[in-house]
Amino acid sequence: MSTTRTRRGLAAIILLAAVTLAVVGALALAGCGSDGSAGGEASPAASASAGPITVTDGTGTTVTMDQPATRIVSLAPANTEIAYAIGAGDKMVAGTSYDDYPEEAKSLPKIGDFANPNVEKIASFEPDLVLAAGGIQDKLRSKLEKLGMKVYVVDPKTYEGVMTDITNLGQLAGSKEQAQQVADTMQKAMDDVQAQVASASRPATFLEIYSKPLMTAGGETFIDDMITLAGGTNLGATAGSGFPTFSTEVLFSNDPDVYIADSGSMSKPGDINKRAGFDVLTAVKDGHVYVIEDSLIARPGPRLAQGLQELVKMIHPEAAAAQ
Amino acid sequence: MTRLARTSVWPGIALAGGVLVACLLVSLAFGPASLSLGEVWHFVTTGPVQGDLPNAIFWQIRLPRVLVACLVGAELAVAGVILQDLFLNPLTDPYVTGVSSGAALGATIGIVLHMSNLPWMTVLALIGGFATLGIVWMAARRRGRIDIFVLLLAGVTISYLASAVVTVLMIRANQDMYAIVYWLMGSFSGRGWPDVEIALVAVPFMIAPLFFAKEMDILLQGEKRALELGVEVERTKRVLLVTAGVLTAIAVSVSGIIGFVGLVVPHIVRLLVGPGHRSLLPVSLLLGASMMGIADLLSRTVIAPNEIPVGVVTTFVGAPLFVYLLRRGRKG
Repeated sequence: MSTTRTRRGLAAIILLAAVTLAVVGALALAGCGSDGSAGGEASPAASASAGPITVTDGTGTTVTMDQPATRIVSLAPANTEIAYAIGAGDKMVAGTSYDDYPEEAKSLPKIGDFANPNVEKIASFEPDLVLAAGGIQDKLRSKLEKLGMKVYVVDPKTYEGVMTDITNLGQLAGSKEQAQQVADTMQKAMDDVQAQVASASRPATFLEIYSKPLMTAGGETFIDDMITLAGGTNLGATAGSGFPTFSTEVLFSNDPDVYIADSGSMSKPGDINKRAGFDVLTAVKDGHVYVIEDSLIARPGPRLAQGLQELVKMIHPEAAAAQ
Repeated sequence: MTRLARTSVWPGIALAGGVLVACLLVSLAFGPASLSLGEVWHFVTTGPVQGDLPNAIFWQIRLPRVLVACLVGAELAVAGVILQDLFLNPLTDPYVTGVSSGAALGATIGIVLHMSNLPWMTVLALIGGFATLGIVWMAARRRGRIDIFVLLLAGVTISYLASAVVTVLMIRANQDMYAIVYWLMGSFSGRGWPDVEIALVAVPFMIAPLFFAKEMDILLQGEKRALELGVEVERTKRVLLVTAGVLTAIAVSVSGIIGFVGLVVPHIVRLLVGPGHRSLLPVSLLLGASMMGIADLLSRTVIAPNEIPVGVVTTFVGAPLFVYLLRRGRKG
């Protein structure tokens, strides 16, 4: 009698552990995916105006389409933002339940959530082009391609990589000019910011992704790239790539000049100045603690230009004010 | 019984106390920030100094974190002893009663409603934990008696139910999924003095079971025998269950869910000092605190500046040990 119950108790623990492992594993995979290969590169073949369109996506895979896409499904909010920005919004047939920008994207039919895109559901919209994100979604490629869809994986590691993805998608969606304009705007924002901070010092900057446990943006992420472009030194890059956990003690001993907390999809950082012990930090004493909206720095889309301008105001307020 | 009563419990307790003091010293002396032992000693003797950064690393970051870890470890170990012996089931841990899943559900609701800052998160976790305990309690009550086996099964069932609701909330509020997952994994990262204060609330509940040590010893022989020997069985069960529930809810509300300490520490201590509760309870308390302190030390130093989730450390240490103990137990 009691052995049966014992076994049930054990089974419960094992099952819970298995579920937890599965979830954690899936998330870990999703995390790893974001630090895979370099951002997409424009292929020379794509410059030809007639004939098949060929571009190379974020995984280094060549994507060829005989004619511009007419039915697009996006599997990530950033991809949706890009599609609307380059004027391909009218070709969008489905997006994700996270899509919140631009406003029109909210009313798109949904293929489910980001972590569990449903292949059948995607296929039911009969898209000719699927815009996936890196990581676990990359594994959907073969399944979707067997069903006759083209898959472009957006997985940029740098700010410029996002620009490349935008021009590539412009070609695939038949809106080259508008995509080029978006990329040019991003380029101009980058050039302006670079000019502002060219001769400035490079303050040590800590970017908080999440507070409990403390997590930051490591190297090989476009957030790291943007902090560098905005004239800062990303403290998180010392902790490895991707989005690593970060020791509070090490944060304190490095004593960053600027403390920026990401707010939005993961957490509300609360009043950082009032956290226990934080009063000794230089960033807090000098009033260089800021909160930035998550979708402006963590979503590889056209609004990164705005995020970059926000970052430079935080890291180099004097240079931004002089403009 | 007589043998247990005659043996002095103090050497064991003193030894475990020594282990805890050693663990505390090591945990406070080492950390990812390179403070020398001399500096640490200086901070200890000078006390907290306003505006001094290395001093703040010790007094505001390291010390409260070590204290929270040790308190949570002690809470889980004592709750583990109580529940294993009350259920007469060696596989019981503080999480089997459903209290932790209920607390997890409360905390998840806090995250989803963006009330994730102290004290809301803790309050909601406590409410969730106590609500679950209440439901399980009512399910197990028959004619004024608590049926321990029904309680255990109801606890497991409620655990599943609460976990399922957490999963649904995770999928529905997928923007908060990471926050929920990290909370469920358990961690002492970013814990400070406010968390110490919450964990300290549990201290009376860690000490209370000591007054029931004799009753718990007798209950090991079964409720019927205990009744014959004049133990107020139902009253004892009530007090102990509430105590274990409070300990678990407080621990989970501060740290998230950290496995194996509440399961393994009582077993190790039984091997060391035997099943008598006059030593089992205090030694488990002290060694639970020690084990969690060391686990958190490893979690924050081994791959610094990154951290290993502390639940991973306790599981890596606890799982092989537990399998070993199980095999040993079967042979015996």
